[in-house]
Formats: sequence, structure tokens, C-alpha cells
Amino acid sequence: MTARKFLSGLIYTLSAAIGVLAFISPFFPAARSAALGATQGQGTGAMTMVTTTALVLLALTALLVEMHGQAMAAKTVATLGVLTAVASVLRFIEVAVPMPGGFSPIFAPIILVGYVFGSRFGFLMGTFTLLVSALITGGVGPWLPYQMFTTGWVGMMAGWLGRLMGSQRRPSGRRLGGEIVVLSSFGALWGILYGVIINLYFWPFTAGPTIPGGPDVEWSQIASQYVAFYLSTSLVWDLMRALGNAALIAALGAPTIRSLRRFRRRFHFTVESPHA
Amino acid sequence: MRDPRAWATWVLTALVVASSTRNPLYVVLVLLSTMVVGGSCASDANQGRQAVIAPVRFAAVALPFAAVFNAATAHIGEVVFFRLPSHWPLIGGPWTGEAMLFGVVNGLVLTTIYSAFSAFNRAISVRDLIRLTPQAFHEAGVVLCVALTFVPQMTRNLRRIREAQAVRGHRVRGWRDWLPIVVPLLVGSMEQALSLAEAMVARGYGAVSERRQSIRTQVTLVIGLVTLLIGWSAYSLRAASPTWRWLAVVSLAVGGGVIAGVVIALGQEASSTVYRPRPWIMADTMGMVGCVAVWGVVLLGRGALYYTPYPHLSWPSFHPLVGVGLLGLLMPAILVGGARGV
Repeated sequence: MTARKFLSGLIYTLSAAIGVLAFISPFFPAARSAALGATQGQGTGAMTMVTTTALVLLALTALLVEMHGQAMAAKTVATLGVLTAVASVLRFIEVAVPMPGGFSPIFAPIILVGYVFGSRFGFLMGTFTLLVSALITGGVGPWLPYQMFTTGWVGMMAGWLGRLMGSQRRPSGRRLGGEIVVLSSFGALWGILYGVIINLYFWPFTAGPTIPGGPDVEWSQIASQYVAFYLSTSLVWDLMRALGNAALIAALGAPTIRSLRRFRRRFHFTVESPHA
Repeated sequence: MRDPRAWATWVLTALVVASSTRNPLYVVLVLLSTMVVGGSCASDANQGRQAVIAPVRFAAVALPFAAVFNAATAHIGEVVFFRLPSHWPLIGGPWTGEAMLFGVVNGLVLTTIYSAFSAFNRAISVRDLIRLTPQAFHEAGVVLCVALTFVPQMTRNLRRIREAQAVRGHRVRGWRDWLPIVVPLLVGSMEQALSLAEAMVARGYGAVSERRQSIRTQVTLVIGLVTLLIGWSAYSLRAASPTWRWLAVVSLAVGGGVIAGVVIALGQEASSTVYRPRPWIMADTMGMVGCVAVWGVVLLGRGALYYTPYPHLSWPSFHPLVGVGLLGLLMPAILVGGARGV
């Protein structure tokens, strides 16, 4: 049993490490110069983008296989499907009605669901919401694995936050003031972080050869370049997302958590086999 | 071309070729091909117009943005428009025509990728995409089906709740005014999920699949991930030396293969049947032939795809053979008449 748990933890850590490494690959001078070499016709690497996408996809696959292994009950399947549908409908609103900046209403449900139902459910909710909303709005593209991976982590960490705050054990009727403050800050933080992480994926692509290359470049130099890039192009955009997340959770979080908890209790039915 | 696997190969090919050249002539050629293919998949005149308008609209934003952005950050080149004080961070220095041109090409590449994927999204129905889900993830496929089936229903519910609240005099002015709409939507959905789960259990869903992840699968996954991690670290840190690069490529391939193997092996445990199988038709094969031609260009004619405006501007070269090879991407559009007939 413990071996299983240990292996499971190992898989989580490894796939997270691979995802993180793929995301921060632009900071490695050697890989950068290889990528530059490619745009300059020498070979290996305009493929870098394709390779990192494939890597993220593989890490995602491994995580999904691991989470799948703990066979999904009908309750999980049904709840996950329906909640994903609700969150994806919110994405529809986003496409139809222009929202300010990078604000998107899909983060709040992912965070709240992860917080109440735990990290595994939160991860699945995050990845599936992005997948389904991409399918229905025609947004399938090379960016999708990155988005799925990142939102999956948003949901998973919301689950950890829930465990940290003892969310799973709390009864549904309690006052939620403190939790809402924490969750709002969590949403705001991830609003910015999501932008920082997702930008990493296309930054070397748009910025091209302006990123200092060559084997002797310190990574701090590249990092400061990225900070400049981020501040000049994305900060305002992402601030909107952060504020939007915080406002949405502050306004709608308490009643949502209350009803999700009520349903979590109601979902605790078990099926007894007649042979047992 | 109808098979989802053929379409996935096509869009992957377009993605790879678009990201491996910066020669504007070839990029425009690929862009036009994807737009034609997108138009040929359209079911009516309106969709056909969209296949042209959507990329053009995207380009109208992406091209100027990429041009200005690259000129602001890359201060290389001979054709200098003007100079900003060089102690200004990031944007200080000469703004050059070369940098602007490179930015435009970047914008074109982005537009091409966008256009290819919108053709893909148009050509493939959601149902076909779900069929692309590996067998190992059939539960994920079920979740996906449940979600996609419920989306229209949720949209209807949302509208109904809004109308009902409006009749009661409710108006949405601020954030908190969404409360009387969101909570009923959520509660109603959870009720539906509950009855769906009960119905699934009643019909025996999951009654036999009390399986747990076997330790062997977990160990294999760990091995695959470790190999990937080693490969990627070698690639990131030591790409300059050829030996390390070979090691990196090999272990990346092995790691990817191991994970793919796990997925395939798990898929064979879970059997599922297709109600109405879709045969692989001639048009799919021809589409693949077109993709092979493009891959040939990418792998063999890498030097020909090369173009850079730095350090001084030159007219990009155009090799007719490369051009013909790239036109392989057009294959789905040429064959669309035949595919309709089948």
C-alpha cells in the first residue's frame, strides 16, 4: 500500500518536473542556442516548440493514466462531466461577451470545485474544463496541452489548499468569511501566475533572437529579459484576470461552496453487491 | 479526407512546417494552402467566407503587433528608422526595418498555425475528436461525452433561469447580481449529476471495473518519466555537444515510447466497440501522401527553408521543388469532391 502511494507521489513529482522544465526551457542557454540554430537553418530545433509541446502532452498523459488507475466511480464520472459542462458554458459567455483583459470566468469554478472535492478531482476538473471548452469554441491548438496542464495544477493546488484548511471535514452550514478571503487571494495569485506560465510558451517564439543566446549567457540575464517582456506586454492583461478571479470568488464563492458541500454529503452513497 | 487520424496528421504537418521556416514566401504559400483547405471543408457559403475572413482578421491584429514588438525589442539591422536613447530598458536603441520584417514573418507564422487549426476544427466533428481519445482513457472519453452532452442543456438552463429571474424583476447590474442565476444553475446541475450517477450505477456502470492501478504500470510510468527527464535535461544543458545531443534524442524517444506503450497496453485491457465504424478511404491515403511530401521537404530541404533578414535585407529565395512539395498540404482540398461522393 505504501509502495503504491510512494510510486504515485513519484509520478506526480516527475511529471510536474518535466512540465516545469518544458515550460522554463527558454531559460537554458544551450537549448536556446540550439533553437536559434534551427531558425538559422542549421537543424535541431525550431522543433523545440514541437518537442516541448510533446513533452507537456506526455507528462499530462502520465498523470492522467495515474489518476485513472484509481478507477473512476460512476459518481465521479457524472459529477465531473456535469461540472465541466457548467464551467465550459461560462467560457461561452466569455467568448460572446467581451471581458476586460485576460479575465475569464472559468477559473473560479475550477478553484472552488478543487477546494471542496480535493486535489485529484480538481486536477481532472481543470484539464477537462479547458479541453471541453476548447472543443466547443473551436479552440484546439498547440497551446491546449499547456493550458490543460496549468489549469490542472490550479485545481490540484486548490485541493491541497482545501486539505490545508480542513475543507473536506467542514460541515456545510458554517460561516465562510475566512475561507473566502484565502480563496480570493489564491485566485488572484493564480490569475497572475497563469499568465506568467502560459507566456513562457510563446515568448521565445515572438521574441525570437532578441533573447540573448550563446553558451556563455547567464540565465539571470535571460530572466531579466523575460521580466521586461512580461511587464511590458502582459501585466495589465493578467491583473484583470487576477482581479476578476478575486471578485468572482468573493461575490459567488460562499453560496457555491455551501451548495457543493451539501452535494458532497449527498454523494456519499455506496452500492452494495448482493453477493457480499 | 474524413478520417480523424488523417486530419490530425495533416494539422501536425502544417504546425511543423510553419514553425520550421521563416521564409515569408513559403509561409504565405502554406498559409494560403490552409485557408483553401479550410474553405473546402465548409458546409455552406457562410462558413466558406469565415475560412478566409477569420485568418485575415487574425493577421490584421497579429502582424502589426508582432512587427512593432520585434522592432521594439530586436535592435539589429542596417535600415534604421529612428533611435531611442539606448539606456531605456528593452525599447532603447535603433528601430530597424529588418527587425520589423522578421516580426511580420513571425506574425504570418502565427496566422498560419491559427488558420491550420481552424480548418482542423471545422473539418472534424467533436464526436470524431473524442474517437481520437486513446482506449486507455475511455473513462475520460465518457466524462467528455457527458460534458459535451450537457453543454447545450446547461446553456438552455442558464437562459431559462435568467428569464425566470427577469420576470421577477431581477436585473444584472453588479457582480453579486449573478448570485440568483449561478446558484440555481449549479444546484440544478448537481441534481442532474446525482440522478445520472444513480442511473449509471443502476445500469451496472463500474460494477466490474473495481480494478486498481497495477504496481507494474506505475513502475513503467516512473521509468518512462525518468528517461524523459534525463533526455530533456541533457538536451537543455548539453545540447552544444553532439554526443550529449544524441543521448538526449534517444532517451526522449525511449521515454515517449514507454509512456505510449503503457497507454496502448492499458487500451487493450479495455475493449470497446464502435457502433458505426468509418472506413479508411482512398482520400485519406492521398492526404497522407501529401503530408509525406511536406515532411520530405522539412527533413531533406531544411537548408532551402532557411531565411533570415539579419544582418541585412535580402530577397528570400524560392525553390520551385520546395514549393511543389509544400503544396502537398492542399491535398485534402483537391480530394474533397471525391470524399463527398463516397
